[in-house]
Amino acid sequence: MAASGLQRRRIELLLDKVDRLPTLPGVGLHLLGQVMADRPGRRAVQMAVEVDASLAARVLKLAIDLGTPAETLTSIDAVFDAIPLEVLVADLLSVETVEPDVVHEVHLVRLWRHLLAAGMAAQVIATRLGTVRPETALLAGILHDIGQIALPILMPKAYAQVLQRVEAGGGDLIQAEREILGVDHAVLGRRLAQQWGFAQSLQNVIWLHHQAQVPAADVPGAGPLTQVVRLADLLVCQEGFTYHPSEQPREGAAEVAERLGFSGAHAEQIGRQVVAAFQQNVGPAGIDALPSADELRRALAAANVRLGSLYRHEYARFHASTHEARRSELLIRLNAQLAKCHTAREVLETVATTAVQALGLRFAIPYLRASDGAYVEGIRCTAEAGIEEQFLYDIASDTALEPPPADDAAPFGEPGPPVRAERVEGWLLERQGTRLGRGPFYTIAMSVEDTNVGGMLFAFADPDHERTTHESGELVALASLAGIALKRAQAEADLGTLSEELAESNRDLQAAHQRELQQRSAASLGEMAAGAAHEINNPLAIISGRAQQLAGDEKDPARRDILTTIVDQASRISDIITELRLFARPQPPDLQPVDPVALAGQVAEEFQPLAARSGVHVCTESPAIAPAIHVDPKQVAAAIGAVVRNGIEACAPAGAGTVSVSVQVLAARGSVRFVIADDGPGMDPKVRARVFDPFYSGSQAGRRRGLGLPKAYRAVLANGGQMALESAPGLGTTVRITFEAAAPAPAPAGEQAQG
Amino acid sequence: MKEVYSTGEAAKICRVSQQTIIRCFDSGKLEGFYVPGSRFRRIPRESLVKFMKENSIPLTNLDSSKKKVLVVDDEAEIVDLLVDVLERDGRFEVKTATCGYDAGLLTQQFHPDVIVLDYMLPDINANVVCKTIRGNPALEDTRIIIISAHIEDEVSAKLYELGANAFLHKPFQIDALVGKIAELLKL
Repeated sequence: MAASGLQRRRIELLLDKVDRLPTLPGVGLHLLGQVMADRPGRRAVQMAVEVDASLAARVLKLAIDLGTPAETLTSIDAVFDAIPLEVLVADLLSVETVEPDVVHEVHLVRLWRHLLAAGMAAQVIATRLGTVRPETALLAGILHDIGQIALPILMPKAYAQVLQRVEAGGGDLIQAEREILGVDHAVLGRRLAQQWGFAQSLQNVIWLHHQAQVPAADVPGAGPLTQVVRLADLLVCQEGFTYHPSEQPREGAAEVAERLGFSGAHAEQIGRQVVAAFQQNVGPAGIDALPSADELRRALAAANVRLGSLYRHEYARFHASTHEARRSELLIRLNAQLAKCHTAREVLETVATTAVQALGLRFAIPYLRASDGAYVEGIRCTAEAGIEEQFLYDIASDTALEPPPADDAAPFGEPGPPVRAERVEGWLLERQGTRLGRGPFYTIAMSVEDTNVGGMLFAFADPDHERTTHESGELVALASLAGIALKRAQAEADLGTLSEELAESNRDLQAAHQRELQQRSAASLGEMAAGAAHEINNPLAIISGRAQQLAGDEKDPARRDILTTIVDQASRISDIITELRLFARPQPPDLQPVDPVALAGQVAEEFQPLAARSGVHVCTESPAIAPAIHVDPKQVAAAIGAVVRNGIEACAPAGAGTVSVSVQVLAARGSVRFVIADDGPGMDPKVRARVFDPFYSGSQAGRRRGLGLPKAYRAVLANGGQMALESAPGLGTTVRITFEAAAPAPAPAGEQAQG
Repeated sequence: MKEVYSTGEAAKICRVSQQTIIRCFDSGKLEGFYVPGSRFRRIPRESLVKFMKENSIPLTNLDSSKKKVLVVDDEAEIVDLLVDVLERDGRFEVKTATCGYDAGLLTQQFHPDVIVLDYMLPDINANVVCKTIRGNPALEDTRIIIISAHIEDEVSAKLYELGANAFLHKPFQIDALVGKIAELLKL
């Protein structure tokens, strides 16, 4: 049987390509009448479909193709539930019908009648039986010979031979199929059902309905569906609903009925019942009808027109919604990413990357204009390399930012439409142009409420690309989102700057407040000192005067010494008051050019005797020449002297140490600095913090008046300098007194000539 | 203290005319001598005192040859100190005031040679007193020494401008004060 094996394989390959089967012309015409209605009703459509194996299989496959699980599609109702009516209608508009010649040649009307009868019988049997759902039985009954529809339709010539064999031999159809085709319709039907994804229970019915022995419940939950359909098949054949007129009704109906729990008589009753009901269904379904070729052609042409318009409409909708979806997806994604950006740079990077990746650009250069227009910040992102460069252009004084005249737009090709970049972004192209390859270049502005915050320069991957409305829309949407995000980032940055400025002005304010407090306390100290001067100097004058009198009269030298001490101490008290008064109201400095090196040397020299007595070494370390400073030499010398004295006194208890007085020239800052450092014990932080407070003395109580450093500090400030003290226990003390270098005075011409 | 007087001085002290003194000198009632090599008559202090006692002339004017000092200070202890110091010296006749108003009055009556003036007085300050005195031509020769518990240099400069002759800070050296008075009076 090599030939039939080849034939079988041919059929199988043919079947593999089949994704739907045509129906009878009469059924097709009837169906088109339903689906061409202005508002097709589901019920009418369903009734036209459920009497026809070809249509039922078609909608079942459609439901499965739409993603509905096949196992849930156990009735035509379930199938219709799974498919939107408009989809169903559109699909059914493309219904195909079998050529009338073929219909006659292979007796298709008989086959259709057999299927409908079998479906109805199965439904009745299931209703009686109760263990199988009637609508499931109906669907299975109609579809059980799906393979037998396919064979005559797909290969009418070959199948005609089968039918002839049956007619001649009075034999079995299945046997004839196997002999002629090499395979029977049950096996091929199952192959088709598998290919179309039908539920397992349906596959079993299609495959096994000719088998005498079938499992009681072949699929869990499906009940004895196959046996129900087998019984229905046998019953309707007994009643004359065979495919071929000469086909012999097969035996075994009673046996199957008994297995299902019916008596033979009961089964026959069901058969008769179906025959009675059959005519009611077969008429309206159009199975028996044989429309003329013209009638059929007109209906199909009309359906074709409807299908075309439906397609156009749906395609337009689909097209628009595809773009909408693409744009929404793009914007949603971009928005989500932008929400995470806090700085302008992050925004620019996100926008550039998205633009290049999602919009198919060759490169994108989004940039941000600083709110004061002083600079432009941007990045360049290309399709090949991603983010290539981050740039910052100073544009405050850049006249090129003005759009160049149209005639000048030449360097990058011919002048283009307004969105072409050459006209408006010449300044950017000038800076970036050499790295951008060939144009055309485009630009899109980023604006928020009519304020331009920046823009984006870009080029499409394909230089010849013509922009579509949709692409423009996407670019505009991207630019507006980017604009908002940039504005927000800018605002965030401004807020940061503002708070920094606030903090700074707060510090300034605090410092000013501190100074104000110091000055106020100095002023009240001054007032107090003035009052105290009068109140204290009068009694001092009396004490001192009387003591002087007594001393003058005194012959005993010891007593005279005591009296002299009284006089001296009175004058000392008076000195303190004078000093205090001077501290509170210092003399205004008499500013003049001073050589800092000489000044430092002079102070160091002045303190040599005191240092020598304390065992302390005072040294100087200065450059040969330093720029002059503009200060009161007496006051500054006194200030430096006070610091030196402090250093010597700090070292004195140890009887050794070094106090260095050096001059440093800070050329970069245009200033001169005196550095007075000692290697004494240093101050602990508590003393350090109060070292410029009057009368606070780190030395032993009463030893010093504690006005030295505070006075020095005030004098340095009054002379326009700064004074900083650094000290820690064990590290000595370093004081830095800094003055601005005076601008070198132009020497008179004569002196200059002398050199 | 002056030991020898001219006839003019003697006339002033005795409150008589110079002619009367010359007549008494020439008649021998008032003993004295001629300056050698001249006709200028000179009367020693002892003979002037003897003459005044014989003629019942009060001796008060004889003492007024001491320099007159007016001490002005609102601080009683200061005044006491200064009076004590100046009287012990012996060359000065001292009067005191404790406010600017009294100082003014006394200046008119007493015609002091020197005013030792505290800068800060209860009613008016020394600069006003200074100005008033300098506004009176009769007090042209009166010397003014300011002593102050204050310390401002610009204030003392101002007082010199107003006619003060010296400025001392309190507390002061008493020798320095007396020395300053003597210096101003060319004693």
